[in-house]
Amino acid sequence: MDDYVTGVLTNIGLFSFLALSAYLLLIAGEMSFGQQAFFGVGAYSGGILTAIYGLPLPVAALVAMLLGSLCAFLVGLPTLRLRGLYFAMATLAAAEMARILFELFRFQRQIGGELVGPDGTQGFRGIRWVFERGVEPAGYLALVWGLLLIALVVFLLMERSRLGATLRAIGEDPDLARSCGISVERFKLGVAAAAGALAALGGVLFAHHNTYIEPRNFDIMLGVHSLAYALIGGLGTAFGPLLGVMVDLGVLEGSRVFQGYRMIAFGGLVAILLIFRPRGLLDEKVVHWLRARFS
Amino acid sequence: MLELERVSRHFGGVRAVDGLDLKVRDGEIVGLIGPNGSGKSTTVNLVTGLFSLTSGQIRFRGQDIAPLPTHMRLQGGIARTFQNIRLFGQLTVWQNLWVAQNSPADRAKRGFFSRWLGGQSGVRDEIVSLLEFSGLAHKQDELASNLAFGEQRRLELARAMATKPKLLLLDEPAAGMNSEEIGQLRERILKLRERGLTILLVEHVMELVMGVTDRIAVLNFGQKIAEGTPAEIQKDAAVRKAYLGGDAAAAEGGS
Repeated sequence: MDDYVTGVLTNIGLFSFLALSAYLLLIAGEMSFGQQAFFGVGAYSGGILTAIYGLPLPVAALVAMLLGSLCAFLVGLPTLRLRGLYFAMATLAAAEMARILFELFRFQRQIGGELVGPDGTQGFRGIRWVFERGVEPAGYLALVWGLLLIALVVFLLMERSRLGATLRAIGEDPDLARSCGISVERFKLGVAAAAGALAALGGVLFAHHNTYIEPRNFDIMLGVHSLAYALIGGLGTAFGPLLGVMVDLGVLEGSRVFQGYRMIAFGGLVAILLIFRPRGLLDEKVVHWLRARFS
Repeated sequence: MLELERVSRHFGGVRAVDGLDLKVRDGEIVGLIGPNGSGKSTTVNLVTGLFSLTSGQIRFRGQDIAPLPTHMRLQGGIARTFQNIRLFGQLTVWQNLWVAQNSPADRAKRGFFSRWLGGQSGVRDEIVSLLEFSGLAHKQDELASNLAFGEQRRLELARAMATKPKLLLLDEPAAGMNSEEIGQLRERILKLRERGLTILLVEHVMELVMGVTDRIAVLNFGQKIAEGTPAEIQKDAAVRKAYLGGDAAAAEGGS
C-alpha cells in the first residue's frame, strides 16, 4: 500500500468519527452545525497533553474525550431548548466562538529547547508523540480503524437496544415520545455529550496524524461536511456516515478524477441526494429491508 | 381519578377551553363530545401536558398535575392516543410498543442497564400479549408506516396500553373507521374496562359513544353545555341545538 492510499484511508477513518458524531445527533432529531468545535477541543487538548505534558496518547485521548463531552454537555444545556433551525444556528454560533477562542489561545512551553504549544492563528506545531515512537503510517492506520471498528460495534449494539429505538423515536416525534413517558430533554443531553466525546476522539487522532493543527481546520466547512457525510450515507445505520465519508474522501478526493472540482461535485451530490433520498442512501427503509432479507 | 376544575386555555383571543369542570371516576368510561372546534382535543392536550393551562386546576388521583411535564404524567399513569394517528413510522410494530414501556412497574422490574441496553427477550411476553390483543401479532416486524389505516389505529391503542396506564385518553379513535371496525373497537374498549382502566373517550361517532360510555359531557365553544347518561344526552335540547343548529333543532322539536 503506498503512502497516498494509506493517507486517504487514515483520513477516511479520522473524519468518520466526526460523521458518526453528527449522525448520533441526527437520529435523535437534532441537526448540529457545531460538532467541529468538539473535534477541535479534542485536537487541542490531546495535543497539549502529549506534546507539553508528555502524557501517553491513550491517557490524553481519554481526557480529551471527557473534555469534549463536557463541552458538548454545556453547549447543549442552552441550545437543546431550541427547535430545529434555531438549534442549528445556535450550534453554528457556538462553534464559531470556539474557533475564535482557538485563534486567541496561546499556551507555549519550552520543551527540549523548542517552543511548543498552541500559538493563536499560527497554529499548534509539533504534536509528535506518534511520530517519535516510530509508528509507521500503516500502524497508525490500523490504530484509527481499530478504534473506529470499536465505535461501530458499539453503535450497532446500541441501535439494536431499546436505547437505540428510543433515540429514533425521539428523533421522529418528540411530542409523541413525551406522551410515551420518555424524558426527551435528558436523552438529548446525553446524546450531545456522547457525540461530543466521539468528535473529540476523532480530533485527538487527527492532531496526532497531522502533527500540526490550526484554528482554520475547525471551521464551519468541517461541520457542514460532517453533516453531509451522515446525510449522504444515510440515517438508517451507523455504516451510513462511513459510506458518506468514503464517497467524499475516497471517491471524490481520493480518486483525483474531480481534482479541483471536488467541492462542485460534492455540492451537486448533496443537492441531488437531498431531493431524491432525503434521509441518505442507507435510509431506514433500506436498512429495514436489508435486515428482513439477511437475518 | 381525574378532576378538571374551572380549566381554561386561551389561544390569544380564542377561548379553546373555557372554565371546564369535569370529573372522571375510577373505572368509568366518560365520553366527551361536541362539534368541531369545541375544545375536545385541547382538553386532552391539557390533561397530558402538551398544552399548558391558562387557568384552573387538573387533579389526577388527588394530585395537582399542572406543573408536571408530559413524560412525568405518563409515568403517573395517563396515556393517550391521537386524533390524527401518530406512530413512530421508522420503527417496527414491535419497537413502537417496546419504547413505550416506561411505567414505574417496568422500571422496577429491570435495572437501568438491562432496560436500556438489554435485548428484547426480557419483555417478550408482555408485548406478545399486547400484539394479540390488537390483532397485530403477524405484523410485529413490519415498519409502522407500512401498516394499513385500521392497523395503525390498533397499534396506537396498543402503544398506549404498553405504558400500563390507569387512565386512557382516546382522541377520536373511530375516525375513518367502517362500521365493522367500530364494532371491534367497541369490544376492545369494553375489554379494557374489564381490566380496570378508566377511559375518557373523545369521539364524533355517536354509534360508538352511545354504546360504551357511562356518562357523556358535551362541549360547545369550550364550555360544557350538558352532562348525563347517553339517554339523557340524546334528549337534551341544548345538545341538539349545538349539533343541528338553532332552527333545525326547533323544527325537529316542533314536529
